[in-house]
Amino acid sequence: MKQNKLNFKQWFVENTKILLNKLTVQTESVRTYTLLDGTKVIEPFSKTPIIAAILLVLSIISWNVTNVNLGDLISRFPNFFSILYQMTDPRWAYYERVIGPMLDTIQMSFLGSLIGALLALPVAFLSASNINKNKYVLSFARFFLSLVRTLPVLVYAAILTLAFGFGVFAGTVAIGIFTFGILSKMMYENIETVDLSAYGAIEATGASKPKAFVTSVFPKITPAYLSYSLYSFEINIRYAAILGYVGAGGIGLLFDDRMAWRRYEDVAILIIMLFVVVFTIENISRYLRKRLS
Amino acid sequence: MIKFDKVGKTYPDGTVALKEVSLEIEQGEFVAVIGLSGAGKSTLVKLINKMIGVTKGTLTVNSIEVNNELKGKRLRKFRRKIGMVFQAFNLVGRTSVIRNVLAARVAEMNFVESLLGLYSKDDKIKALEALDKVGILEKAYSRADQLSGGQQQRVALARTIAQDPSIILADEPVASLDPITANQVMKDFERVNKDLNITVIANMHHVDMALKYARRVIGIRDGNIVFDGPSDKVNEDLLKEIYGRNITDEDIMFKDEDEAEQIEF
Amino acid sequence: MNKNLTVQEMFEKQPKHHLAIILTILVIGSLTLWSLSAISVPAISEGGITIVKSIFKALIDPNRDWLFTLRPIGIPQQMLETVAIAFLGTILGAILALPLAFLSSRNITGRFYSFIGILSVTMIRTFPVFVLGLMFVRVTGPGPFAGVMTIGLASIGMMTKLYVESIEDIDKGVIEALDATGANTLQKIRYGIIPQLSANFISNSIYRFEINVRNATILGLVGAGGIGSTLIWAMSAYRWRDAAAALWGIIIVVLVIEFISTRIRRKLASAE
Repeated sequence: MKQNKLNFKQWFVENTKILLNKLTVQTESVRTYTLLDGTKVIEPFSKTPIIAAILLVLSIISWNVTNVNLGDLISRFPNFFSILYQMTDPRWAYYERVIGPMLDTIQMSFLGSLIGALLALPVAFLSASNINKNKYVLSFARFFLSLVRTLPVLVYAAILTLAFGFGVFAGTVAIGIFTFGILSKMMYENIETVDLSAYGAIEATGASKPKAFVTSVFPKITPAYLSYSLYSFEINIRYAAILGYVGAGGIGLLFDDRMAWRRYEDVAILIIMLFVVVFTIENISRYLRKRLS
Repeated sequence: MIKFDKVGKTYPDGTVALKEVSLEIEQGEFVAVIGLSGAGKSTLVKLINKMIGVTKGTLTVNSIEVNNELKGKRLRKFRRKIGMVFQAFNLVGRTSVIRNVLAARVAEMNFVESLLGLYSKDDKIKALEALDKVGILEKAYSRADQLSGGQQQRVALARTIAQDPSIILADEPVASLDPITANQVMKDFERVNKDLNITVIANMHHVDMALKYARRVIGIRDGNIVFDGPSDKVNEDLLKEIYGRNITDEDIMFKDEDEAEQIEF
Repeated sequence: MNKNLTVQEMFEKQPKHHLAIILTILVIGSLTLWSLSAISVPAISEGGITIVKSIFKALIDPNRDWLFTLRPIGIPQQMLETVAIAFLGTILGAILALPLAFLSSRNITGRFYSFIGILSVTMIRTFPVFVLGLMFVRVTGPGPFAGVMTIGLASIGMMTKLYVESIEDIDKGVIEALDATGANTLQKIRYGIIPQLSANFISNSIYRFEINVRNATILGLVGAGGIGSTLIWAMSAYRWRDAAAALWGIIIVVLVIEFISTRIRRKLASAE
C-alpha cells in the first residue's frame, strides 16, 4: 500500500513537471533526449500546448461574459424536458391553421431562391478571377458579396418589413438577398475551376466572343448552377420558417404566437409539419442534385 | 517457445483454413511461411497472437495457452509481448513518426496518462532507440505520411520493437514495396532478429525473399504443412510441391538475376 | 456507304435532352406562377421610402459614440457577448456531437445503432434556432447563458453530419495494429481514431463557429443575449443611427472572424 502511494507521488510529480514544461517554457534541456549510444535528439517545439492555453483563456473569458451558471442549469434543466414532454401530445386539429402560412413559407423560399439565383449568376462571373481580369472590379465585387453575406436573413427581413410593411413580400426579398450572397460565392468558386482552353478554341473557329463564351463556359457550369440553386432552396425553407418572427410572413409568426402562449401542443404540430416539408423538399432536391452530377 | 499441437482453424462460414498443424518454434528463430494465397499462411501467423481464434487443438505461446479463455485484460497483456507488422503498415498518417511508435507504449500506460497522451521520458527514449535500430532516427518528428513506403514499414517495425516483444509477427511485410526497399526492410528484420534475439515469423508471398532472409521455411498447401526445414534445403522440386505448380514470375520479387546481384553491393 | 449509315445512326442516337429541359422549365414556371399568385407586391409607401433613406443615411453616419464606447451597453461589449456565446456554444455543440457522431457511424456501431443516432440528430435539427432560444429562455431565464445552450444544441445537427463523414472513412488498419499491441477499447479510440480525425474535427468546428457568430447576432430577438436585442430595440424605436452602429458592429466582427477562420482552415487543409 505504502509502495503504491509513493509511486503515485513520483508519477504525479514527474508528470506535473512534464506538463508544466510543456505549457510554459519547453526549454531545450527538457526537449533533449540522450540515447544509449550517446546520440542526442532534440524534440521540436510543440505549438499544441500554446493553442490549448489560448483556447482555455478564451473559454474562461466567454464563460464569464455569458454568465454560465452550471448550478442553475442543473436545477432548472428539468423545465426543458417538461416543455419537450408537453410537445409529445400534439393537438392535431391545429394543422388546419398551419397549412396557409406553411404554403406562404414554401412560396417565399421558392421565389426568393429564384430571384437570388438569377441575380447571382452575373455577379458570380464578375467575381471569378479567370473571367474578370480587372482587379479593382473583382475586389469590389467580392467585397460587396462578403458584405451581403455578413448580415443574417432575419436582419434583412426586419429592415425590409419596415420598408415594405409586414408580409410575405419582405420575406421573399430577404430570402432573395441571402440566396444571392451565398450562391454568388459558391458559383464564382465553381467558375474559377472551369478550364478556359475550350473558350479559346471556339473563339479560334471564328465565333464572336459572347458566342464562344456561351458555348464553352455555360455547359460546364450549368449542372453546378442548378445543383447549388436547388441546395439554396432546400436550406431556405428552414430560414423562411423563422422570418415571421419579425413580421415577414410564413409560419414564423405562428411559432412566435404559440410559444408566447406556451401552447406547446401546437408548437409540436408546427415542428412536425415543418419536418415533413423540409424532409420532402430535401429528399426531392437531393435526388435531383444526384441526377445532375 | 511457440507450440502448435494439432491446431486447426475453421471459419464461421465453413472455410477450413488450417487442417491439423503441429510444429514448434524456438525463441530467436527467423521463420518464413510460404505458400499460395489462400493456403492458410496468413491464418497460421494470426493465430499466434489470437487476432484469429483457434478452433481445434492446442496452441501455446511462451507457456500460455491461446484458447477461448484468453480474453479481455489477459489477452491484452499477452499481446503486449508479441509485435505485429502489417502489409499496409497501419500507421496514422497525419501524426508524427515518433507518436506512431509511442502508440506501442500506450497499452502499458495507466488510464489518465493514456487519455492525455503524457508519455514519460523513458518511453520517448525507448521509441527513439527503436527508430535508431531501424535507421530512421532523423525522421522522428516528420509526419508519417511524408515517408516512403519502405520508411513507413520501418516505422511500423520500430513500433513493434518499442513494445519490447519476444516475438514479431509479420503479415506480408514487403508485399506492397518495390524490390529494393523490400530488401532493405527485410535486412532490418534480420538485424532485429539477430541483435535482439526476437523470434520473427513472417508469411511471405515472394519465395526469393523468404529463402534469402529466413533461416527456416514452412511451406503450406491447402491448410497442411508440406515442408518444414532450413531454408537452404528448399529446392525447385519442393517448391513445386508447395505451390502445386512451377514457380512463376509472380512468386518472386526479382525477375532479373542481374538486378538481384546488384542489390548485394 | 457503310460509314454514311453510321453517321445517320449516330445522329438519331444523340441523347434527347429536350424533354428534360422542357419539363424543368415547365415545373419551374408553374411553381413561379403559383408563388407569385400568393405574393402581392406592395406599393412602397411614402413612409417606407423615408425609412429606407434614413437607414442608408445612418449606415454612412452611424452613432460613433456607441460603436466605440467600452461601456456595458456599447457595441464592443455587445459584440464580445455575441462572440462569447458563439464560442462556448460551438464548444458545447462539438462535445455533444462527438458521441452522437460515433453512434451514427455505420463502421463503428453498425446499421441499427447508426439509424438511431441519425434519427435523434434529425429530430434535434428540426427545431428552428429561435424556437430553441425561446425554450431555453424559459429554462435558464433570459440572457446570454440561454444563448450558449441554444447555439450548442443548434450546432449538433451539422457537426454530427460532418463528423460522421470523416469517421466513416477512417483507416481501420491502425485500430487493428493497436489491437495487436494489446490496447483497450478506449485507447484504441484515443490513439487509433482521434488522431485520424482531429484535423477534420478542428476545421469543422471553426467553420461552425463562423456560422454560429452569425446565428448569435439574432438570438437577442428572443432574449437570449448578444447584440440582437439592441438592434431590434433601436429599429423598433426608429433610432436609425443606433441601429446602424449595431449593424456595423456585426459586419466588422463577422468579416474579421470569416477572414481568420478561412485562413486557419486553409492552413489545416494544406497540411493534409
